[in-house]
Amino acid sequence: MSWLFPLYLAGAAAIIAPILLHLRRRPPQDRVEFSTLMFLDASTPVPVSKRRLENWLLLLLRCLALILLALMFARPFLQSESTTASSADQATLILLDRSASMRRDDLWKRGVAEAERLFKAAKMTDRMALAVFDRELTPVWSFEEDRNTPANRSAALQGRLAALEPTWSGTQLDRALIAAVPSFDASTAKLKKRIHLITDLQEGTHLDALRTIAWPAELTLNVHRLDPATNDNFAIALAARDEEGNADALIRLRLSNTRDSALRDFTLAWEKGPQTDSITAQIPAGASRILTAPPNTTSATTLTLSGDKYDFDNRLFIAPPQPRAVRIHFLGDEATRDEAAAPLYYLARALQPTATLAPVLSAGKVMPAQKPDLVVISGNTPPVGVHASLRDFVSAGGFLVEVATAPADAALLQTLTGMTGITVKDGDANDDYRMLADVKTEHPLLKPFGDPKLRDFTKLRFWKHRQIEIKDASNKIVTLASFDNGRPAILSARIGKGTLIVMASGWHPGDSQLALSTKFVPLLYGWLAAAGFSHDPAATLLVGEELPLDAASVHTITDPENKTHSLKAGEGFTTAQIGLYKVQSASNTQVFAVNLPPDEGRVLPLAPQKLAEYGIKLSGSADIAGGSETTDERLTATDTEQRQQSWWYILLVLLAVLLLETWFAGRGGIPKWSAQSSVRSPAES
Amino acid sequence: MAHSITFLDPAALMRIKSLELRAKVVVEGLWKGMHRSPYHGFSVEFSEYRAYVQGDDPRYIDWKVLARSDRTYIKKFEDETNLRCQLVIDHSKSMTFGSLGYTKADYAATLAATLASFLMKQGDAAGLTTFAEGIEEHMPPRNRPGHLRRIIAELERPAKAAGTSLALSVGQLADLLRKRGMICLITDLLAPVEHLEKQLALLSAMGHDLVLFHLMDRAEIDFTFEKSAHFRDAETGAERFIDPQLVRENYLKRLQAHRDTIQMAADRHNVEYHFCPTDQPLEEVLFHFLSARQRKKASKSSAARIAT
Repeated sequence: MSWLFPLYLAGAAAIIAPILLHLRRRPPQDRVEFSTLMFLDASTPVPVSKRRLENWLLLLLRCLALILLALMFARPFLQSESTTASSADQATLILLDRSASMRRDDLWKRGVAEAERLFKAAKMTDRMALAVFDRELTPVWSFEEDRNTPANRSAALQGRLAALEPTWSGTQLDRALIAAVPSFDASTAKLKKRIHLITDLQEGTHLDALRTIAWPAELTLNVHRLDPATNDNFAIALAARDEEGNADALIRLRLSNTRDSALRDFTLAWEKGPQTDSITAQIPAGASRILTAPPNTTSATTLTLSGDKYDFDNRLFIAPPQPRAVRIHFLGDEATRDEAAAPLYYLARALQPTATLAPVLSAGKVMPAQKPDLVVISGNTPPVGVHASLRDFVSAGGFLVEVATAPADAALLQTLTGMTGITVKDGDANDDYRMLADVKTEHPLLKPFGDPKLRDFTKLRFWKHRQIEIKDASNKIVTLASFDNGRPAILSARIGKGTLIVMASGWHPGDSQLALSTKFVPLLYGWLAAAGFSHDPAATLLVGEELPLDAASVHTITDPENKTHSLKAGEGFTTAQIGLYKVQSASNTQVFAVNLPPDEGRVLPLAPQKLAEYGIKLSGSADIAGGSETTDERLTATDTEQRQQSWWYILLVLLAVLLLETWFAGRGGIPKWSAQSSVRSPAES
Repeated sequence: MAHSITFLDPAALMRIKSLELRAKVVVEGLWKGMHRSPYHGFSVEFSEYRAYVQGDDPRYIDWKVLARSDRTYIKKFEDETNLRCQLVIDHSKSMTFGSLGYTKADYAATLAATLASFLMKQGDAAGLTTFAEGIEEHMPPRNRPGHLRRIIAELERPAKAAGTSLALSVGQLADLLRKRGMICLITDLLAPVEHLEKQLALLSAMGHDLVLFHLMDRAEIDFTFEKSAHFRDAETGAERFIDPQLVRENYLKRLQAHRDTIQMAADRHNVEYHFCPTDQPLEEVLFHFLSARQRKKASKSSAARIAT
């Protein structure tokens, strides 16, 4: 017989209390009314030494109850089974958390020390392995290595652990545990399998995937939770952009505070920015706030949150605005740029630079030497000699917008599309005006009008238009919009790698109200987006995500530590740090901001029992590492005791004894009194 | 003869709340009393002869006897008037002790009510005197309608005084009772009896027919207490720590001596003494009482016959 908590056995000494109580006689308390004392002499109270035990059966039951209580708390178990269990060799895998939250205090050091301690405590015949995890599992010391070189494993492991440090990744405990299960290879089949999980077990860790697996019955998990000095923490993350607002440049942030936190005041500022630009405010415990970043006067790229103890999640990197140059060529007269009736006038004013795009509009009757991204033809038909070069431009991936203004344009369209049955005629002169009737807003080229709010085309009137007829209509040419007389208004065709847009009416006031309407600028930027020049700012990335690279080109990547990585075409790159990644390709240079996963800032610890909800077999009570002297023997004893559950039987016996004691005390202990005289009946006492 | 009678358990009897009903229950089960009045007056019923002495009324000379034997005898006749019985009840605090579910006072009251009821039913007169430290209430013997109810009402009244002064009370009683009759003294006699003897002698000498009912609880008789405790005197309030196992022997010895003293005093002064443990059925007590009366009368009659 062994005890899990032998210290509780000392509680059995409490039986001295009932013994003393039973020894104590109570002459002063008992009073008996008697008719006369004339025949009675006074007696002297019995000295303590001569006292005798009263109600010895009751005393016996009470002592037994106390002893059983002490036994129950001491949690007995049979040693024989435990010995055989502990003599069996074990296969132990230690999983050490190295996510960003382990950068708090000395959690990492403590985790490493705990791992080393477990290694040292293991027997030589035990199989040991170690892996670290953040968003994925990385083996450090495998069972195979351990089998080959068990002698110096402790020293070897120390060396390997020294080379490791916490990463900037989030914690995906579910993936790590799922990956850890198969690491028990065939050599460990006959051993007792156990995983020691050394982690801060923060709230932000991912556990959902654990529901998808059935945890092996023979595998037990021991959680060694590392607790920092405090769990009070502020976290910062980028919030979604406000679609309603039009302020693209405004950065919206989400700040959160942990539950039951003592912290309130925070300061948010751009790194190296002036003090005057910082925001100092309060956030209650357990709350989160959305707020706009302070004005960035110094073009800084890092927002810094201060006010809490741990700064691992206090920086937010914002990529600097990187407007991308788009070369647009207007094939026409440069001189019309300032003529209010000319198409170029409106085009030049519509294409204003934004935070992400920097359109450069050139005009000329010939194609420029440097290939433009977009070519616009309106008002004058290019000479036949240019037609072939324009076709080559589109076929090579160019984007051409052609406004048909004269029947002569049919030749250009025929050349571009390679279809002979295209004719262009002036529209009906009788008509007052035409409106757009059928707009295919679901088409990618008209994507900006996907929003129902922007689909009202009733105020858009076309004074003049041309009838474009395509005899051999096929799937090659798509009608994006039609006039209310059924004639096509905007046509589109894929030519080679490029795109052709044909409009039956111009945007200048001579033809229509398009340039003066609210539809013109979205239409243009929609075409630019379709041409590959996105208007959206580059989305921020999280650590562990791949950089969005063009598979076709070669890249040079500079990471936040200024190390460069050269990538071949088609190669991917996974981010591993927080900060700004510079990606250089042949055509342009982009800067990506990579931030900590927001969940990593949720640092409140979970109860280890939470893992049991996912079907994981936890071994005994989870320990808080460093707080107790946990040894393998102790864990085995806990296991054995839990299997045997002998304390249940003791509890049942204890209840029976207590019932018996109550019954006995109720039967014999309570004196009966005469109803009328209040005198104890000697016959019954 | 006593064995053929099934007596009522006193505990069962005491459960009857009404004292009057209790007395009735006991009386119904008994036969008519066999006592005679101690008055020897002039009646049709002949009682005894005695020698004529000078001064006797010559009217009562039995001439026939004189003619036959030439001796002058006076005829004595039984008085036809009823018996006058004075019930004297101890109302001291010590009477409130009882270990059987009822007290000695309850028992005494029932006994007195039974006697009163029994006597008045056959036309005798009954009176009641209660005493503790002195006489508390005194009701002379009467046989009027409603008198029994008054006696019972008085019996139901709880005791007021604490102590007992037997000698003083009996002395006062001697002053109050002018006419001869029977005196039934019902008490636990838990008081020194030295002076009592003198008072008993006085009453006896006054021609009263004295009957002493000595009530004791079973706990007092056997002293069956087991646990040590502070024993409190019901009358004086004095407390004394007693270990029953140590003092029992001594107690029993002293109690026996006390009872012996009383017995001897009673014998000396021709007092009819009845020792009544309160667990003894009341019918039995009455039966003994009536049997004793009959024996007494018989012995008197035989004495008279011997004299003739």
